[in-house]
Amino acid sequence: MDSDARVKMAVYRHFAETGYPPTPSEVAGRAGMSAADVLDAFPRLRDQRVLVLGEDGASIRMAPPFSGVPTQHVVHVGGIRYFANCAWDSLGIPVALGREAEIDSRCEQSGEPLHLHIGPGGPGPSPWLFHCLVPASQWWNDIVFT
Amino acid sequence: MLFFRSEERVREWCAAHDYPLRPLVTIEQLWNLSTTWYATRLQENSRRPQPNEMREIFAALGLVGEFWNPASDHFG
Repeated sequence: MDSDARVKMAVYRHFAETGYPPTPSEVAGRAGMSAADVLDAFPRLRDQRVLVLGEDGASIRMAPPFSGVPTQHVVHVGGIRYFANCAWDSLGIPVALGREAEIDSRCEQSGEPLHLHIGPGGPGPSPWLFHCLVPASQWWNDIVFT
Repeated sequence: MLFFRSEERVREWCAAHDYPLRPLVTIEQLWNLSTTWYATRLQENSRRPQPNEMREIFAALGLVGEFWNPASDHFG
C-alpha cells in the first residue's frame, strides 16, 4: 500500500471506529508515518476528492460519507454517533460500514423530524424525498454548500 | 443535499429561497445510489467514481438529464 493509501485508510478507519475526525498525529500513529508526511499527503487526497480539509490544511472537514463537524444528519450505528455531510451521505454511512443504523434528520422546509431505520436491506418504504440544488457537474465547485 | 417531507415542502423551500426546483429523488433511489457509491469506501482500493462511471450509476437509477450529467466534473 502506498503512503497516500495508508493515510486514507487510517483516516477512514478512525472515523469508522470513533465517529470523529482524526488529528494528523492520530493518522500518523495508525499509518506508521510521521505527522509531516501525513500533512504532505492530505492535499493529494483532497485533489482525489477523498478528503475535504479545513482552512488550516490539517483538520478534516469531510471524508465522505463522514463529516468532521456536527451536522443535522445524525447516524447511530452500534453505539457510535456519526455525522453525515448531507442526506445522501447519511445513507452512505451504514452502507460503508455494512451495518444496520438509525438515521435522524429533518425536513429542511418544515423542520419535521425524520427517522429512518436502516435494516439489512436498507430503509423501508418512505414518502420522504431527497432534493439536490446543485447540478452534478458543479458539486465540487463548493462541496460544503452542495 | 437535503431531505424533505413531500414535494410540496420542496416547492415551498425553493420558492422561499428563489431556488430552482431540481429533480426529486425517492428514498429508494437514494438508498440504491448510496449502496453503489459507498459500498467499498472503507476498502483499501476504493476511489470516488469517475465522471463516466457516475453517469452510468445515475442512469441505472433513472437519474437522467443534464442535471445529473457530470461531464465537466474533471479531477485528478
